[in-house]
Amino acid sequence: MVWWRRKRELEEEIAAHVEMAMADRMARGEDPETARREAEREFGNAALVKDVTAETWRWRWLDQLLQDVRYALRQMKKSPGFALTVIGTLALGIGAAVAMFTVVDKVMLRPLPYRDAGRLASIEFESKQVAPPWGVPLLDIQEWRKWDRSFSEIGYYVGLGGRNYLEGSNGSQQVMATIISANLLDLLGVKPMLGRGFSPQADSFAKSGDADAILLGNTAWRQMFGADPKLLGKTVKISGKSHTVVGIMPPGFAFPFAGSAPEVWMPAQPGPADGGRTSSTPGYEVIGRLRRGVTPARATTELNVLQKQIAKGYVDKDARETHSRFRISTYGDTLVDADTKHALLALLAASGLLWLIACVNSTNLLLARAMARQREIAVRGALGAGRWRIVQQLMMEGLLLSSSATLIGSAIAWMAVKLFARSLSKMLPLPVSAAPNGLLLLALVLLTLVSALAASVWPAVLAAYSPIEPALKQGGQQSGTSRARSRLRSGLVVTEIALSLTLLVACGLLLRTIYALRHVQLGFRTEHIFVASMNIPGYKFEGKNLTSDLYEPLLERVRHMPGVEAAGLISEVPLGKTFRIQLTLNGNAADELDNAPKTVNAQLIGVSPEMQGVFGFKMAAGRFFNSQDTATTTPVMVINRAFARLYYSNNKDMRKIIGKKLWHLEPGKPAEIIGVLDDVRQAGITLKPSPEVDLDIAQLGPKSTAYEAMEGMAMDLAVRTDRSEASFLPELREVLRQADPALAGSTMSTMDQVVEDSYGSQRMAAHVLEIFAGSALLLCVAGLYGLLAYVVTQRTREIGLRIALGAQRGDVLWLVMRQATWMLAAGVAIGLGAAYASTRLIGSFLYGVRAHDGATFAAVALVLLAAGAVAAYLPARRAAGVDPMEALRAE
Amino acid sequence: MGTPREKYQNRIELLQGTLDMLILETLKWGAQHGYGISQAIGAQSGEILKVETGSLYPALHRLERQGFVRSEWKTTEAGQRAKFYQMTATGKRQLAADRERWEQMVTAIGAILNPAE
Repeated sequence: MVWWRRKRELEEEIAAHVEMAMADRMARGEDPETARREAEREFGNAALVKDVTAETWRWRWLDQLLQDVRYALRQMKKSPGFALTVIGTLALGIGAAVAMFTVVDKVMLRPLPYRDAGRLASIEFESKQVAPPWGVPLLDIQEWRKWDRSFSEIGYYVGLGGRNYLEGSNGSQQVMATIISANLLDLLGVKPMLGRGFSPQADSFAKSGDADAILLGNTAWRQMFGADPKLLGKTVKISGKSHTVVGIMPPGFAFPFAGSAPEVWMPAQPGPADGGRTSSTPGYEVIGRLRRGVTPARATTELNVLQKQIAKGYVDKDARETHSRFRISTYGDTLVDADTKHALLALLAASGLLWLIACVNSTNLLLARAMARQREIAVRGALGAGRWRIVQQLMMEGLLLSSSATLIGSAIAWMAVKLFARSLSKMLPLPVSAAPNGLLLLALVLLTLVSALAASVWPAVLAAYSPIEPALKQGGQQSGTSRARSRLRSGLVVTEIALSLTLLVACGLLLRTIYALRHVQLGFRTEHIFVASMNIPGYKFEGKNLTSDLYEPLLERVRHMPGVEAAGLISEVPLGKTFRIQLTLNGNAADELDNAPKTVNAQLIGVSPEMQGVFGFKMAAGRFFNSQDTATTTPVMVINRAFARLYYSNNKDMRKIIGKKLWHLEPGKPAEIIGVLDDVRQAGITLKPSPEVDLDIAQLGPKSTAYEAMEGMAMDLAVRTDRSEASFLPELREVLRQADPALAGSTMSTMDQVVEDSYGSQRMAAHVLEIFAGSALLLCVAGLYGLLAYVVTQRTREIGLRIALGAQRGDVLWLVMRQATWMLAAGVAIGLGAAYASTRLIGSFLYGVRAHDGATFAAVALVLLAAGAVAAYLPARRAAGVDPMEALRAE
Repeated sequence: MGTPREKYQNRIELLQGTLDMLILETLKWGAQHGYGISQAIGAQSGEILKVETGSLYPALHRLERQGFVRSEWKTTEAGQRAKFYQMTATGKRQLAADRERWEQMVTAIGAILNPAE
């Protein structure tokens, strides 16, 4: 650095001056010692010369800055405990806030890879009474395109359905395949990087040349075709079907915006089925580009008016009812479900609260210190230091403390996000990386500045502008602290206690929720069960029977693995959230249901008989499947209690339902109900069991109605064994690989983990709040302790005098405790009020406990009071132990 | 407070200008180090003018920043490493201007002290 070099040079220059003067004197006959002394005396104050010379440089301010830094470092070294406390406190606050902000930023503020994405809106049916229909028939979309004025363009898309595999130059890989309307890319404002999009006529009813065209996503193109630009015009296969590549999308493009799986797009091909508005008409997801200045709310109003006319096209009265209302929301808003958004914002608010507590706490600490240093500052002022200069120095101290805190805080944040990445990825559509972005860094710098200003400038200004004389006159620590200022410090502690209590109450409520969740009767066993969630490459088994060619041999092998007690297959394990098949029965398929509405909805599950052994499912009546049920025996099915309750009027005695006919496995072969299962929690721990129909995998074959959905896409393998995860899972993976190489990539988990993961937002929120609330408790207890300890030190002489005049130790103890008591009482009272007002924010996460649960409020208040009393007792005891002689002699 | 401070500044400026001129005058005879300059001014004035190091070094560094002198580390005849200052072309012009102003002032002051008889 230039400045350092110049400083060194100047020192050398001065040394040379003295050397030469000394040499001259020696030449005149003086002895070396006298010569040096005289030369130095003649030169004058070398330090002053250095200073005034350096002042001619342009680096003066830097010199002062470094001086301040050195001074601040010296101060920190002098009381390392204080520095560490302040840094730790602020780091905690900043770390929490930054971690939460990282997550919120990744999830809610991320930019979408589309042009002017704020104007993209999705249109969905809305219904107050029943579940709204999924997807919009093409006829309705065409009417909107013709008549609606809110949107400049309307497009639609739908997932290809099932699991799809792209065959690349080296093996096949699962891809996300989406069917899109021809105008969708234009609507999103994105152009293919290579090649072209679909021709505008591609999605009209007329057949066009683009019928078998395909667009590849950049990831798929790179991973599976080595980014070969000559791929354009060539043929690729999706699950065995040929398509011509017409374009490659640019990197970073994804639609629908979810995950980072390789993607492909195909043009929509409206067929005869799209020409109606019945329950069998295909539905599409709709996205539109709002005209400039049109809000989603205005668009909703307009479309709802328009739809009144269009809905007349629905012959069925119920369908007309459910297809007449819409909700239009910005596309970005639909990507994160409301619950998650809510959870994140609540946690962000909590982290803000913690940051506030940390700031209040460190301000209090710095304030105490500034007061303790009042005399030093007064002396500096008396010696001629400018007030601004003193403020500057104290500010530098605060800045140094808070920037160290920022560094440590960001490290904490980074680790925290890493730590929670797993639970986050379970609830959020995107993997969350711990790396902060530019916006975040900016926020970080702002947080630092604000906390530095909050924590240092204020006490610094107070200290610097306090009159110099009284501090000097009264001297030392015994200087009378002004009443107003000690009241201010008590106020800060009260604030801290109140804020902490709010966090503690929220945490207490969530812990109660987690406790309640863990004690919900699941209806099945979870321990010692491994689950492999398999993606089935159904297209490879075209013309074969998956049951006999894949599943039965696989089960046979797994059953014979050492240590396996039972193993079975099920299309989706309870709470698995992997692959849900919805069965909808209309009209006469539901003939024998005496309490049936026109349509029957149920979850359809394919399962093998051993599953009862694995999960311990209980029967309400009849029997579960067994090995006597085969492809050649009578088709049978098992329903659950919820199904029976909803669809049979005569459901008091479940045994009466056994033997009834329901639906069929193949057309013309009605199935018989052989058992009623007790309800289990299928979709979520807090969700009531829904109707369910189980079929035996052994009875399913290529001719079965639901064969493709039941067997050809996904299947969960559940194994009961006492073996450890580390020894069993690699073996299981190898067995799967032998059955089919594609199965080796299956997701492995334990049933306990599946249940754990299904707690979702509550569990994450509880974990995060536990940390926040624990920190808050620690901080406010430390704040209380710090204040009282300081007060006791300040009043040592007074206390000594009181004892000398005959005050009892108990009186002195009570003197300090009384001060603590009123601060605690005020803090708790305010905090309870604040908690009462704010717990409604987390009301939607609570389960088994009310937002204003009296027991939780009381327990939390007691915990805080107890912790506060302990924190107050220590300084109080010290006060009571003051030796009057010692205290009075001290000055 | 305002007035004395201004006066103080004026005094410095007057001295500064003079000291700068004296330093440049000394450097007319070739490059010299700080000690040499102070010795030379002392000797030339018959030990009447004594340059304080607290004025000399700031002046040298200021002159260097203004571009009137440049510096270089060299070894003296006695083998001592020292920083030598040398006048630049701008410095020479500055010296001429300083001199002219000084002589005008001496004439003016002289005219006041000894009014024309």
